[in-house]
Amino acid sequence: MTEARPRSAFAHASEAELARILDFYEVAWEYEPYTFPILYDRDGAVLESFSPDFYLPEMDLFVEITTLKQRLVRKKNRKLRRLRDLYPDLRIKLLYARDFRALLLKYGRISLADALSGAEGQATPPRRDPAPAESGPGAPTAAPVAPRRAAGGEPSRAPSARSRRSRRTRAQARARSEATSGVARLTELNA
Amino acid sequence: MNGTPDLVADVAEVLLSEDQIQAKVAELGARISADYAGRELTLVSVLKGSLPFMADLMRAITIPVQIDLMEVSSYGGTATESSGLVRILKDLSSSIDGRDVVIVEDIIDTGLTLNYLVRYLRGKNPSSLRICTLLDKPARRLVEIAIDYLGFEIPDQFVIGYGLDYGERYRNLRFVGVLRPEVYTSPE
Repeated sequence: MTEARPRSAFAHASEAELARILDFYEVAWEYEPYTFPILYDRDGAVLESFSPDFYLPEMDLFVEITTLKQRLVRKKNRKLRRLRDLYPDLRIKLLYARDFRALLLKYGRISLADALSGAEGQATPPRRDPAPAESGPGAPTAAPVAPRRAAGGEPSRAPSARSRRSRRTRAQARARSEATSGVARLTELNA
Repeated sequence: MNGTPDLVADVAEVLLSEDQIQAKVAELGARISADYAGRELTLVSVLKGSLPFMADLMRAITIPVQIDLMEVSSYGGTATESSGLVRILKDLSSSIDGRDVVIVEDIIDTGLTLNYLVRYLRGKNPSSLRICTLLDKPARRLVEIAIDYLGFEIPDQFVIGYGLDYGERYRNLRFVGVLRPEVYTSPE
């Protein structure tokens, strides 16, 4: 379902596995298509942003998957709380390591759990997150990452990997839209 | 699991007793009988897990009813590596065009299989399509699906029995139980 692309298109092997599961059941997905600003400085510049791993357009649902250690999960939970505060209409589901293990268990692939979890499953080096403003001493001091065209609390959209079903759905919607606008133009001409 | 496995010994906790299950099945059967009185109802069971539930439910329904069976490949099965797509392993035997259909499921967790099935069956033009499941594990849901007839909502634990399996075992238990974690975490 997905286009042939290097495994490193996903930051983590667990994400690639989830994409394969969604593909198997023909659920359309897009990989990190939106970036949401979640922290600003006093001048309104974005200090921190969050890109949920998957967007399932047919369900209007974001899915974030984490198989990392509890320390990192706490950080992710904080980001998610912030995201939900700022975007209350957003539907997002967080899959923890135990959820991912349960998924693999369900599909008889529990033996893969360790290889697809935590640092073992990282396809690329961990992405450096900007230091949140409220972080205390000793926190990472990476420079804030500029979000993709994020401004004024609006999420930004970036080109993203997506399932074949997602591309097909979008193409059909575009065709319907073009057909509708064509009818509208004909109606105007006939009027 | 060496030698002859003791199925019951692998159960950490009985979640739903045989009596609880049978009482619920009778209740669901009565509801479905009332809702579909005078209509053309087909029950579609999804193999293999829902087989015991289907067998009991159809006998708890008091109106004329047709049954049909479907089986779809599961992710991680032998079909996964070859095609990467879900496959219909056993399709309907009869047309459901214009009929009222109730899908009979043993358990809904992620909702992925059922979501696929609902799309597939809608394409066969039933007059209506509803969902009946004995068990619902909402903590695992990825795809939201409206359940019309629900037996029990269960916690986020790995359950076996009454059709549900682990490695094709435990389906023949008459109750629903929680499998001991050491059964699936210890090497064979």
